[in-house]
Amino acid sequence: MQKKMAYSFPDEVLEQVFSFIQSDKDRNAVSLVCKSWDEIERWCRRKVFIGNCYAVSPRMVIRRFPEVRSIKLKGKPHFADFNLVPDGWGGYVLPWIAEMAGAYPWLEEIRLKRMVVTDESLELIAKSFKNFKVLVLFSCEGFSTDGLAAIAASCKNLRELDLRESEVDDLSGHWLAHFPETCTSLVSLNISCLRSDEVSFSALERLVGRCPNLRSLRLNRAVTLDKIANILRRAPQLVDFGTGYYAAELQPDVFSNLAGAFSSCKELKSLSGFWDVVPAYLPALYSICPRLTSLNLSYATIQSPDLIKLVSHCPRLQRLLVLDYVEDSGLEELASSCKDLQELRVFPSDPFGAEPNVSLTEQGLVAVSLGCPKLRSVLYFCRRMSNAALVTIAQNRPNLTRFRLCIIEPKTPDYLTLEPLDVGFGAIVEHCKDLRRLSLSGLLTDHVFEYIGTYGKKLEMLSVAFAGDSDLGLHHVLSGCESLRKLEIRDCPFGDKALLANAAKLETMRSLWMSSCAVSFGACKLLGQKMPKLNVEVIDETEPPDSRPESCPVDKLYIYRSVAGPRFDMPPFVWTMDEAVRILH
Amino acid sequence: MELQLGLALPPPPLIPIETFDLNSYGNYETREALGTNALSWPLLKLGPADNDINNIHHHNSSSSSSSSGGGAGCKKRSFDEAPFFDEKRNVPKTLHLLLWTNQPNDEDDDPSNVLHENSSSAIFKNDGEGLVGWPPVKTWRKKVHHQIPNGGTENNRLPAVENGIGGRASKSTYVKVKMEGVPIARKIDLSVHHSFEGLTNTLMRMFGISDGNRKSFKLTYQDREGDWLLAEDVPWRTFIRSLKCLKLIRSRG
Repeated sequence: MQKKMAYSFPDEVLEQVFSFIQSDKDRNAVSLVCKSWDEIERWCRRKVFIGNCYAVSPRMVIRRFPEVRSIKLKGKPHFADFNLVPDGWGGYVLPWIAEMAGAYPWLEEIRLKRMVVTDESLELIAKSFKNFKVLVLFSCEGFSTDGLAAIAASCKNLRELDLRESEVDDLSGHWLAHFPETCTSLVSLNISCLRSDEVSFSALERLVGRCPNLRSLRLNRAVTLDKIANILRRAPQLVDFGTGYYAAELQPDVFSNLAGAFSSCKELKSLSGFWDVVPAYLPALYSICPRLTSLNLSYATIQSPDLIKLVSHCPRLQRLLVLDYVEDSGLEELASSCKDLQELRVFPSDPFGAEPNVSLTEQGLVAVSLGCPKLRSVLYFCRRMSNAALVTIAQNRPNLTRFRLCIIEPKTPDYLTLEPLDVGFGAIVEHCKDLRRLSLSGLLTDHVFEYIGTYGKKLEMLSVAFAGDSDLGLHHVLSGCESLRKLEIRDCPFGDKALLANAAKLETMRSLWMSSCAVSFGACKLLGQKMPKLNVEVIDETEPPDSRPESCPVDKLYIYRSVAGPRFDMPPFVWTMDEAVRILH
Repeated sequence: MELQLGLALPPPPLIPIETFDLNSYGNYETREALGTNALSWPLLKLGPADNDINNIHHHNSSSSSSSSGGGAGCKKRSFDEAPFFDEKRNVPKTLHLLLWTNQPNDEDDDPSNVLHENSSSAIFKNDGEGLVGWPPVKTWRKKVHHQIPNGGTENNRLPAVENGIGGRASKSTYVKVKMEGVPIARKIDLSVHHSFEGLTNTLMRMFGISDGNRKSFKLTYQDREGDWLLAEDVPWRTFIRSLKCLKLIRSRG
């Protein structure tokens, strides 16, 4: 006879307690305590995050978590952003929607990243989920404004429609008119990626006007400057606003109208958009600048003096995205004005030019690292770097959690000493003990990987390009970085040895991408055979990998752990190393 | 290369790095700037105290036995995914398919030279236009207008619609076409056309221009730099890769 433990609670009490636990990590821990906790927890889990849509099947998710209300899925690997993953590789959301349509009639939220979404999927969402509230399509593709019209028309309680950076087939701007007059629930609308000249502006205005809870609105380029004031006056409660075009011939009445409209937005904290900026219109923003915490000027082709003037009005700025037109001088000004800065991203205005077109060097980044004590996250494109600068940055800012440096020309050495940048990046990983994400560039040998393996204990994501000398480099990373989840490598001389010697490590990571490296087809097959919990995919658009000797390197390799087994939606240029499937393929 | 299949129990410890012989690996690339891949790397003192070489190697050996594989190490990891991987299963800590040894390769014909050639030719796949996907900027950013506005004061340009197919490969190969004098723009699918002849035929039909009137129109296009050019002046391939949008203009004289 089982003795009931004195300290066990009734299920309902436990469920109530668990409802306060929101983080996935904690929920997972709860489910590991004992069988009964696992059982209770799985019935009350409402949010699921699946970092790789092929790691698990929709049925498995549904079987384990029957009452989900919110799902977040990611599809293609990160390097898909840079055209390294061929079209048609996969990441289709339709199978998920189809299964969830039956199993989760009360699903409210779908958030997708790098997935292929079709109009059919959107129509199915619109039809299947009566209480649908949130649709976020981040860097997705494959759908058109027709699909959006279906969502707009059917989802009566839609709160968020966010298409950030997605590729939409813009057939007509009239989809906005499909929002019924009764729709007043919108809180967030992001259509900045829509490229069409045609946006039904009157429909947009009316929609904005009747949604009193609208907090975030990001327009697309079709909306001209003179129309901004109209929109803002209808939504003075906005917290986040993305302009359309910010260019027009300077006219005093347009200017004052715009300035007045901005100043009436007392909650506005975040601005973006600014395609084609006319600097003369920037002072219209001055009234809200003191409140701004986030500013995305990464499409604004304005020069450093204008940028400096604007930024100096924003002492509370926490996040700045900007083009390298800001130059070192602009960053020095930023360092002295914006002491709350946490995140800085500097993008290249002329990424393919051979010569520098702006005076932006390592000095700008050093200045910001010195002047901004809260700086945590950096993405920086530049054309020269030195070990000394990197060491200084590391010593100034040990609180960095994300450091992504892209020196535009591959294998560029320290410009002062002509040495590799191993020591500089080594200082970064050594001093920044909470570093979670790192992207390397410049001339790098296996040494840098030894530093990373030694010090990068909290590193979760590492991006490597044109670096290293031998398998030892990869071995250092795989054997040393305990927290590693995602590793993406291109054009490095890493081959079979390190990969096979660390095969078990791959099961502890979400994924590994290697392209233009030296991993042989034979090694891929071996991995596929021996590691059943890994999907090993070889991608080659030119010819089948087994038409060449086994020792030949594969073009692209994508390895990810999965409990769903090999997938069956692969295009002809993707080969799975799962033996049984390969033979059928 | 000799592959030794290592089975689960008991796993031998990974050879500490100081005995690893770098010279057994073919030089994938000669790095004159660096000199040789000598074993005696000075691990430079980057900061205070704890950068003693001995400490680092200790650190390495102790970390290497617990870093890879499942088991107890996994539970401390922050998985933010649904725990479909049963961390309680008995996964050996260092299951490897290859024992990391310091034996030099036996074969003389080191495949690494072959690999080097293959990999370097793979880099310039983009028809010699440069590296694919480098620098790592998203398609959206590639299309930022490079031209610095003159003084930045007056900027009366009409919004240029960027819908070219030179960027991210996508299923949509539609491009905007405007005709001089016609307010409404149209869209045309470029993937079904393979020559100027075919393209022009379609455009004539689209805008209802009769064969007789054909001669009085010229096809122009705006390229990635924002310049307007005559379509017939460039080869089809160049045209396709650099065009952003099309415009039919009346040819004068």
